[in-house]
Amino acid sequence: MPILQVKNIQKSFGAVNVLKGIDFSLEQGKVLSIIGSSGSGKTTLLRCLTSLETADTGCVEIDGKVVFDSESTVKLTRQEKRENQLKMGLVFQSFNLFPQYNVLDNVMLAQQLAAKDRLDYKAKKQEILAEIEEHSRQIIDSVGLSDKLQNYPCELSGGQQQRVAIARALALNPKILCFDEPTSALDPELTHEVLAVIKELATRNMTMIIVTHEMTFAKEVSDQVIFMDDGVICEQGTPEQVFDSPQNQRLQEFLGSFQK
Amino acid sequence: MELTNGMVMGASLSDTLANMWNAIANSSFFEVTLRLFEGLFTTVELFVLTLLFSLPLGLIICFGSRCKFTPLRYVVKTIVWIVRGSPLMLQILVVYYGPGLLFGWDLLPRFTAALVTFVINYACYFSEIYRGGIQSIPRGQYEAGQVLGMTKWQVFSKVVLLQLIKRIVPPMGNEFITLVKDTALVRVISVYEIIWMGESFIKKGMMWPLFYTAVFYLVFNGLLTLALGYFEKKLDYFKS
Amino acid sequence: MKKIALLLALLLAVSVCFMGCTTGNNVTGTDKVADVDYVKGNGKLIVGITDFAPMDYKDADGNWIGFDADMAKAFAKYLGVEAEFVEINWDNKAMELETKAIDVVWNGMTITDEVKGLMGVGTAYCKNMQVVVMKADKVNDYKTIDSLKDLDFAVENGSAGAAALDALSIKYTAVDTQAKALMEVKSGSVDACVIDLLMAGAMTGEGTSYADLAAGIAVTDEEEEYGVGFRKNSDLIDEFNKFWTASLADGSVETTAQKYNIAKNIIK
Repeated sequence: MPILQVKNIQKSFGAVNVLKGIDFSLEQGKVLSIIGSSGSGKTTLLRCLTSLETADTGCVEIDGKVVFDSESTVKLTRQEKRENQLKMGLVFQSFNLFPQYNVLDNVMLAQQLAAKDRLDYKAKKQEILAEIEEHSRQIIDSVGLSDKLQNYPCELSGGQQQRVAIARALALNPKILCFDEPTSALDPELTHEVLAVIKELATRNMTMIIVTHEMTFAKEVSDQVIFMDDGVICEQGTPEQVFDSPQNQRLQEFLGSFQK
Repeated sequence: MELTNGMVMGASLSDTLANMWNAIANSSFFEVTLRLFEGLFTTVELFVLTLLFSLPLGLIICFGSRCKFTPLRYVVKTIVWIVRGSPLMLQILVVYYGPGLLFGWDLLPRFTAALVTFVINYACYFSEIYRGGIQSIPRGQYEAGQVLGMTKWQVFSKVVLLQLIKRIVPPMGNEFITLVKDTALVRVISVYEIIWMGESFIKKGMMWPLFYTAVFYLVFNGLLTLALGYFEKKLDYFKS
Repeated sequence: MKKIALLLALLLAVSVCFMGCTTGNNVTGTDKVADVDYVKGNGKLIVGITDFAPMDYKDADGNWIGFDADMAKAFAKYLGVEAEFVEINWDNKAMELETKAIDVVWNGMTITDEVKGLMGVGTAYCKNMQVVVMKADKVNDYKTIDSLKDLDFAVENGSAGAAALDALSIKYTAVDTQAKALMEVKSGSVDACVIDLLMAGAMTGEGTSYADLAAGIAVTDEEEEYGVGFRKNSDLIDEFNKFWTASLADGSVETTAQKYNIAKNIIK
């Protein structure tokens, strides 16, 4: 059974139909890349999946559990909402680190706040906080920034900031990690360090959805590729199918624009 | 012999000091300074209490003016418009005399009426500064908080608040300094602040005490500026 | 547009409400206002004053003294209450009375039509004139009303002095107290001011605060009178008149007036 099941997602802003019915599924441990020109609805789709936008229609299932259903009238509790939210991690194009916290605190903050709702928090506060710190240090180490624990975001390069943002999302153990054009705000010489981290995650079977303009990277890292145009999925398949023998005319034009 | 000499010296020194002290204590300068300090106490009291109440009230008004419930939003915006759009001196008169003139109610004590007016007035100004500050925080900060599973309150208190404070310290500092000087207006309802005290000497033919009050304002605002500068520096460690 | 119209309507409604209430107070007729009971209930008579020698001013210990202050204390005693003095902003005296922030205005107040329109006034008790005050070395050069016409004047806003200058069509700068008018003359920003004779007597000339200033000619023919102001139709007015008649009879007015050197001005 797929870990992610997306059915008939539609979303419009006023009179503009941005998503016109999106269906796809993703298997556990696989990497999905979403490509397409600007304004094709990729980012909106990602925002609907991560609850930053509420889709007008459709339903999303993660790990066999419905996390969004436009038909549903059930009121979720705060706890349930948070559980659903945390199944999806999101890494932003513009990092969105919290500037007033150092690297370690950026990664620990959300975990510390979540821990306050644990029933045994008062009794085992010291232990829990120590666990969170240990866990966070390991994750920061895994993105290669263990020497920057005490630095503030403004003291880091863009690539380092994006690696912290990835660590921050990973620290909450999401089932699926989403990336919204993770390297678009970076200088070309800094993109590779971020891409290297994502590749490394792929080798550890992290389920990921990546919206990207890095075609070579998408081809290399993905198990599955979706090409979106004008709010619909025009073509999807393995990287080989999509990149080497595109069927759709819009996809052919799109790929052509990258081979000048 | 030397000992007596020393004692004489000591005695004359203490005499001199005592004489100097008497001269100072009997001088009009000393008397004026004492009176002005009395006025300064009222000024400082009004300043501190106004900040204490208007800073949180301003935040509440700010949330009200951003509220999704339309009627409330309009009520709050109307209040802010009236308060910011009319002279503070008129507001002081209305708050003090208004209840008595309109409804025959008992008046608030003079200082309380002045304080109430200042708190409402400054809360409205502060609410606009907060609003500007909140709007200048990038959306991404709220979204990052949300996808990390934080509640709205957690996002505000743990993520936005400190960035907000950093952004609003300079405009707030301006308002604080204006507030110090605005306290002079409360003398229209006979709250005896420092200018009133200075003016009272005109009856005695002394004009300089009125201008001497400027020294008190300058020192007060100087200290305030230093404190604000220190606070700004404290928040310099991050950029937002 | 709609919003603006709504706001303007709201503002209009508020102002109409204000007007309605103030006229409402005036219309309440000739029923006596039970102020005597009110003052006795409070246990104090709140006396609105300004710093105005020789009527109301502070002694070295900071206690209020002066002809008016002493008589106000005697009146409070007569009522069986304490006198409490509040220095007020003179422009707001009518509002202070009406809102019960103070109970009487007792501060060398000249009885004018304007004053009579705003408050109830007790028996006139003291005569006064409006006199010109200028630098002592120049005062002898200005002996006629005509000679004043080229001078720059300062007077207290809305005072009897201002009314006198208006009547003579002499232009002036209005300031907020008589003391400020004196300060204007001393600082040289104007040539002369017009203030109460009693005040000029107490505050100018040798041995006073304004030693280099002197009082010159009077600017009005008719004499003015001082009175004590109360709320309109207050029953305190009757009490005051009874008290004053008794005080004249037992000589306490005379003794107090002599103490402050204004005996010749008292209306007997």
